[in-house]
Amino acid sequence: MSLALVVDLILNAIAQSALLFLVAVGLSLVFGVLRVMNFAHGVFYMLGAYLGFTVVARSGSFWLSLVLAPVATGLLGGLLERTTLRYIYRRPPIYQLLLTFGLALVLEELVRVVWGPSALPVDPPAGLEGAVTILGAVYPRYRLFLVVLGMVTGVALWFFLQRTRVGLVIRAAAQNDEMAACLGTDVARVRTGVFAAACALAAVGGVAAAPMTTAYLGMGIGVIVDAFVVVVIGGLGSIVGSMAGSLIVGIAQTWGGFYFSEAAMAIMYLVMGLVLIFRPWGLFGEEE
Amino acid sequence: MAPLRRWGPVATLVVLAVLPWGLARHQLSLLTDLLIFSLFALSLDLIMGYTGMVSFGHAAYFGLGAYGSALLLIHFEVPIPIALLGGALGAGLVAWPVGYISTRATGIYFAMLTLAFAQLLYTLAYKWRALTGGSDGIAGVPKTALWWGGPSLVEPRAFYFLILVSFLVAFVLCRALVRSPFGRALQAIRENERKFATLGQDPRRFKVIVFVIAAALAGLAGALSAPFRGFASPEAMFWLLSGQALMMVIIGGIGTLVGPAIGAMVFVLVQEVLSSYTEHWMLFTGAIFVLMVIFLPGGIVGAARRRFAA
Amino acid sequence: MPPILETRRLDRAFGALRAVADVSLVVERGELRAIIGPNGAGKTTFFHLLSGVVRPTAGQVLLKDEDVSGLSAAARCRRGMSRTFQITSLFPELSVLENVRIAIQAKRGGNTRLLGGRALLARTEAGAREALGFVNLEDRAAVPASTLPHGDQRLLEIAMALAQEPDLLLLDEPTQGLGVEETAATAALVQRISRERRLTILLVEHDMDVVFNVADRISVLHFGRLIAEGSPAEIRRNVEVQQAYLGDMD
Repeated sequence: MSLALVVDLILNAIAQSALLFLVAVGLSLVFGVLRVMNFAHGVFYMLGAYLGFTVVARSGSFWLSLVLAPVATGLLGGLLERTTLRYIYRRPPIYQLLLTFGLALVLEELVRVVWGPSALPVDPPAGLEGAVTILGAVYPRYRLFLVVLGMVTGVALWFFLQRTRVGLVIRAAAQNDEMAACLGTDVARVRTGVFAAACALAAVGGVAAAPMTTAYLGMGIGVIVDAFVVVVIGGLGSIVGSMAGSLIVGIAQTWGGFYFSEAAMAIMYLVMGLVLIFRPWGLFGEEE
Repeated sequence: MAPLRRWGPVATLVVLAVLPWGLARHQLSLLTDLLIFSLFALSLDLIMGYTGMVSFGHAAYFGLGAYGSALLLIHFEVPIPIALLGGALGAGLVAWPVGYISTRATGIYFAMLTLAFAQLLYTLAYKWRALTGGSDGIAGVPKTALWWGGPSLVEPRAFYFLILVSFLVAFVLCRALVRSPFGRALQAIRENERKFATLGQDPRRFKVIVFVIAAALAGLAGALSAPFRGFASPEAMFWLLSGQALMMVIIGGIGTLVGPAIGAMVFVLVQEVLSSYTEHWMLFTGAIFVLMVIFLPGGIVGAARRRFAA
Repeated sequence: MPPILETRRLDRAFGALRAVADVSLVVERGELRAIIGPNGAGKTTFFHLLSGVVRPTAGQVLLKDEDVSGLSAAARCRRGMSRTFQITSLFPELSVLENVRIAIQAKRGGNTRLLGGRALLARTEAGAREALGFVNLEDRAAVPASTLPHGDQRLLEIAMALAQEPDLLLLDEPTQGLGVEETAATAALVQRISRERRLTILLVEHDMDVVFNVADRISVLHFGRLIAEGSPAEIRRNVEVQQAYLGDMD
């Protein structure tokens, strides 16, 4: 195996992991704070891709779409949390999963109504087309951008949660609702905010993915299942866990895909099975 | 409520037995479909309603049953009952290791694991072209005879009765199961798993067993669907079908025996009516479902019970 | 005859906190032993260690001379150790009778009967009714457990443990949350179980009146350590115990 190939595979794995991370970390955060497993999370990723397509088509600017699409998706997410989820927090957790499943169906169908059934291609922005040569490997510039985007988001998120006052409140709410309420926090607002932010993050992933994968129906469910695997491996509610889980799944998908292409998915589930047997609550999760 | 309890089943049986002669061909096929979905939803309620394990991948076993019976019917032309048995057993067999691993987790984790395994099986069905025909699936599944040289089941009414009898047998079986010592243990696990464990038995054993039983019944439903529709395709294993089964159970009434059948009926009929007006019927089904989860958590049966009790 | 229960240098740490430290004690057959101690003394953790809900970081638990330290709660129950929980733990939507029946079947087998099992259900029903009669809940057998008042729920949990016919009964604060009269009734019930059923009982209890009235012997935990053991009269006189509780006051 040549060095160029190794570099290529490593970069592919990281680029893939970066996209996964953008989705998984929101899923994990929403679970940590709201105790809701959001089945619709992948649909927000898809929505990001489609909104991104429209913004690029109208304005011609990818960078504008990277800002506008997530903001719009986040607003929609917050609105949905306020109008539906808010009323059933006291129920057994499975009802919240079912509710978000219903929302996913509605949103998926809405996308079909608005954008039609065929896949929509998005061009990478100027300056990120073409390829560069790294250690002998010819590598698409755009994927390098994904690597950077994932890392920057991860680090920024970590700083936000660990070093800011709002981050502290979110972490408090994630650990204990009542304690957060005692701190004088409006828990309902924290929930809405976190839900909206998670949706926006997923949309960032969608916008960023579109030049590589196109915007297509069904991309939401594809990514949500992968993201579930990521958080199960990493542990729900843990950012570091999401990062580690994304890397593991990203590597399993790209390397597995290279060596035994048909079995790429099986490898991912094999890893998950092993983690569950030895640490049922995930690598970085806490035993409940 | 008491007279409904006594005469309801009898009346339902009579209607189901007579109806085929009063229905158009398309309507009979709809009714047959409905029975298949009822059986499928009932099997899900065994684990979801009675044991408290929400599986988000139940369609995998429906699909396995469909492929199992399709392969047996096409390659060996076995009588239908053998194909049904084969489909159910195949589904149960695959469910065993999946259940063994998935029951290590509980609650949401369990739901996610079952979904992941189902997606894995779906991909397998999609990619293993030689066996499953890939995305095209297996077409031309024949309706063979009731036994070797026995009466043919090609006639729609005959096949309807085969499915009706299968459903009734499964229903009576489930009823006996939930009332048996085992069934009560399942409900105890649903109520308080930790307490159950301190009483002297490992709850996981029970959960694996019921998971396999439910998968085999889902497999039976799938095994019926393949000859009825004439094909088996990966769609039968897709997460969407798993989700729809969950919807049927919730709409009808979780933790009841008739709820899933009622839920399946509502779901199929709403879909039938809506799809004649718009191709985007899923939009409205989804919205109705969201509203039901918020306002009617006990489903139709739960609401009816409350009304009669009050 | 070996003691029914023995712990040898039992230890459990949660991070830096040693909730139970180096506890060795012996409980003889037929005894009614109480475990007391100020808040945070490690009583509940000690109980969880005995019943297998929590695993020890060091040391052993011996049940009838058999080392059960590595066994699950379920396995210990099958070997004759039944327990109740400090916070009532029932199957709320099942009937009162069904709650007891599950307990019996879990112990004697039969929960795995898939179909029918009517004869079995009838047999266990007799046992369940007997246990319910013992705690005076027989006439509530048909209602869901969740509809019982709190005091009756506590009695039901005791009935479930009794119905398993254990050799050793662990009661975790059976009077928790009860009124004065109910507390007295429960104390009397515990004594009656000990005498009429000849059961060995280990009791964690914070109500000192109950403890000094019913217990044969008392073991005192303080900061996870066993600081005293003896008859109620001896414990009452023990200076170290008095200081431990005084320290708890301020």
